[in-house]
Amino acid sequence: MTQLILFNVTNGLIIGAFYVLMALGLSLILNLSNVINFAHGNFLALGGYLAFTLSPTLGYWGALLVSPFLTALIGLAVERLMIRRIYNRDPVYSLLLTFGLAFVMQDAARYIWGPNGLPMGLPAVLAQPITSDLFFITYYRIFMVTVVIVAVVGLFAFLRYTRVGLRIRAGTFDLETVSTLGVNVRHLRTFNFALGCLLAGLSGVLAAGQIGLNPNMGDELLMPSFIAIIVGGVGSLIGTLFGGLLIGMAAALTTVVYPSASEAVIYAILMAVLLIRPRGLVGEEGMLS
Amino acid sequence: MSISTLSVRRRTLLQAGLALGASQAVGAPFVVRALGDEPVKIGMVNPLTGVLSALAQSEVDGAKYAEAEINKKGGILGRQVQLLVEDSANDVGTGVQKTRKLIDRDQVNAILGDVNSGIAYAMSQVTNEKKVFHIVPGGHTDPITGTNCKWNVFRVCNTTTMDAEAVTPELVKKFGKKWFFVTPDYAYGHTLQDAFVKALTKAGGSYEGDMLPINNTDFSATLIKAKAYKPNVLLNNMGGLTQINCMKQFTQFGMQNEMGLGGALFELESVKGCPPEAQTGWWTYEWWWNQPNVPEVVKFVADYRAATKNTPSARVWFGYVSMHTVRLAAEKAKSLDGPKLAQALEDMELPPDVALQPGKVIYRKGDHELMPNIFVGEVHPPKGNADDVFTASTLVPGEQAAGSVADTGCKMVEPS
Repeated sequence: MTQLILFNVTNGLIIGAFYVLMALGLSLILNLSNVINFAHGNFLALGGYLAFTLSPTLGYWGALLVSPFLTALIGLAVERLMIRRIYNRDPVYSLLLTFGLAFVMQDAARYIWGPNGLPMGLPAVLAQPITSDLFFITYYRIFMVTVVIVAVVGLFAFLRYTRVGLRIRAGTFDLETVSTLGVNVRHLRTFNFALGCLLAGLSGVLAAGQIGLNPNMGDELLMPSFIAIIVGGVGSLIGTLFGGLLIGMAAALTTVVYPSASEAVIYAILMAVLLIRPRGLVGEEGMLS
Repeated sequence: MSISTLSVRRRTLLQAGLALGASQAVGAPFVVRALGDEPVKIGMVNPLTGVLSALAQSEVDGAKYAEAEINKKGGILGRQVQLLVEDSANDVGTGVQKTRKLIDRDQVNAILGDVNSGIAYAMSQVTNEKKVFHIVPGGHTDPITGTNCKWNVFRVCNTTTMDAEAVTPELVKKFGKKWFFVTPDYAYGHTLQDAFVKALTKAGGSYEGDMLPINNTDFSATLIKAKAYKPNVLLNNMGGLTQINCMKQFTQFGMQNEMGLGGALFELESVKGCPPEAQTGWWTYEWWWNQPNVPEVVKFVADYRAATKNTPSARVWFGYVSMHTVRLAAEKAKSLDGPKLAQALEDMELPPDVALQPGKVIYRKGDHELMPNIFVGEVHPPKGNADDVFTASTLVPGEQAAGSVADTGCKMVEPS
């Protein structure tokens, strides 16, 4: 039993790492622009499908590099054409707009790539376990966690040490003042949205290798991302990191004792956090409002 | 003639023309269309979005193919057939709402659906209440033609008991009697696992398993448990896209080297969604396209491929048979009245060009369940043809696997 629990804790951290990457992109967009991006899961799916389409030409590694940037470009276009028009309105407008966009993107994926699941080929070296005892730790999962760590460290370094990153962080707290100081907030928001979509696209390429491609794949991963943000604390990227890892572990450990509740447990955690500490684990007071 | 007179004349002419056009649009349907021009409407409710969407779309494709075929030959009772398709979105409430809409607003003569057993079951309550003829093409849960059988409901696909009874002897023989189940936590999963447990227990076997959410994406925790249990075979009872995820992760973890793999359904749509190393295991197929010794099947497959550029799967066959079932029942009853259609269909044998398999295929009177053959065999990577991913080793007669009507618990209550 101890071994089973240890295995599942490790497994949960691996799953949680994936939720972290997905949730960070969503959190970036929410923090700066106050946009609740319900289409974030569909940008994830788009990244996966673009990788699937490009991999015969570019190979897996080429597709892994290119697809997130293509997804970011499409996100940029979406922000310029649609999202930008609702910035000064009630957040419910962004929710409704992105909700509709999600359906459109899902149907477009179904139309272009079909309703059937599509297998994403992996390099043979990745598609096997590291040892027979640690069979659930495949080279692909190690690769996935490595990519997540690099992406997260890269993101935090970007936000900490670059001028644009500094402006994004400042804008999260007070966009008006940032604007008054001469920063073009329209460009900043566009860049930020594209960055969030880049993270979604990267998540999609990684997810495709793990669970394959289907038009609904983003839906299944979107809610855990929202929950990770709320549990960790709205407005806090560090909180999102902890939130993602926590719900990943909770789902994995629940499967050991009560598998049917593995999905419900993350909602139970959400409820508990909202009741006991609404700002989340490391969020700031009042951020949820 | 003055200009004003001309204007008045022109205005009058325009107004008259407008009125005439409007009367054509409004009055014409009532004046021109007699009953003979009114199409026979068949409503189909299926989860075109969600984890079962690929299977649902195949059923719709089969139904549409049959619609065109039937219309080319004159339709049903001399009237063209119109298939109206609605998306249940894999949600019971939506499925019921769409069923009501098709019946109340669109006045359909028959209802087909749903892939999702829970939705199919809920729909049957509505169709029974409304006395509308209802065919369930691909919802497998036993109560639909078992403990909750209804006079107006017929089913094309197998019950979960039929699939479990058909494949269990093969799995026990090939692998052994210690099993681990991975099962979706909804109507289909519960009855399928119950059926397998019953069959396994009869064979003296033992088991453990996990019931998981229907949309579950990560199976690593469950597979860790399975590995610890050391079963002879793992039964993957998941469906659609979640089954693909489970298969991928099972083979990524190398577990196929330590235990067998099998179950009831691993459908063509799902197999093609898996990488080659995950195209494996022992399963049942409710219909299979590659039957070179059955000329009707060879012709059907060739015609379907020519029309659609796709190979028909079992789900395509479900949709195809469902539409032809309505036609056959109507032709025998000479009516589209629900009770008459139901009565006409009881104990009806499907003609070879609809049954598309060897032997007799009959809608059993006692429970309204179609009794086809069940193809038991091995899934493998494609052999030449991209769709040639299954080789049948045994054909189990449906009635043998189904047991008697009394065994199903069905007590049919005829309409008042």
